[in-house]
Amino acid sequence: MSVEASLTCREVVELLSDYLDGELPEPERVRVEEHLAGCDGCTMVLDELRETIRLTGMLTVEHVSETQRTTLLEAFRGWTSGA
Amino acid sequence: MSRTRTPTDDLALVELLRAGDETAFMMLIDELGPAMHRVARMFVSSDAVADEVVQEAWLGVLRGLDGFEGRSSLRTWIFRILVNTAKTRGKRESRSVPFAALMGDDLDEPSFDPARFFPSGEGAGSWSTLPFDWRGMPEERAEATETLHVVAGAIAMLPPMQAEVIRLRDVLGWSSEEVRNVLDISETNQRVLLHRARAKVRRALEEHFRIESEGTS
Repeated sequence: MSVEASLTCREVVELLSDYLDGELPEPERVRVEEHLAGCDGCTMVLDELRETIRLTGMLTVEHVSETQRTTLLEAFRGWTSGA
Repeated sequence: MSRTRTPTDDLALVELLRAGDETAFMMLIDELGPAMHRVARMFVSSDAVADEVVQEAWLGVLRGLDGFEGRSSLRTWIFRILVNTAKTRGKRESRSVPFAALMGDDLDEPSFDPARFFPSGEGAGSWSTLPFDWRGMPEERAEATETLHVVAGAIAMLPPMQAEVIRLRDVLGWSSEEVRNVLDISETNQRVLLHRARAKVRRALEEHFRIESEGTS
């Protein structure tokens, strides 16, 4: 039942993030896959988005400053001693 | 990456905190502290005030520990307290941040430049100008410190909510459900913000690799 018009590239690229996260509803997922099967440009963007996510995951996690840690630890000690 | 704790883990952790376990407390501070500071900073005027808000929120967390029943995850519960504290403080500072400024005013626009697609005619909506293809990069080039600086720089340029969603999801590996609970945004907004953020980071990487390849060819 392909009554609906197939997706254009412009539409597909907006769905790729959800597609990668497995968050597209079934009919839409199928339509995206049908499009990707015949479209090198969108497949490229998909690969690049996947790589973007992987590289983002390599960023180092920020740390809490020593001053803040000390302040909070003191607050915790105050709280445990029932202050 | 911080893994998602199960409700049982959360309750066990809360027990440790109630018993005054400093290691458990510091672990939680290190895990949540930076994100708490950034989220607080969205609502208040300076980093110093955001630090105060975070401290106040932790005190609220400790005072409320006995009431934690595990109906939401511990970090969702902590962030609720944080966001309420930050909003109250922001109001007291008479600082009202327009929602659009936090989310970005570009949410209704396409995340890919419309000029890259045919506007009309038979091929309307298909690629007219393909983006630069930066796939197949040798790993040491893709993962170079410089590349990661590009990623971090692109995230730093994002509107605060877009930046926070991509940090929580893709840097820290939180689930979409947790991110939307913690930031108090709808499921749709979470997805839109994440997609926009990723598209902009991808775009920054494309530019970076394109310029780099022009320099070498």
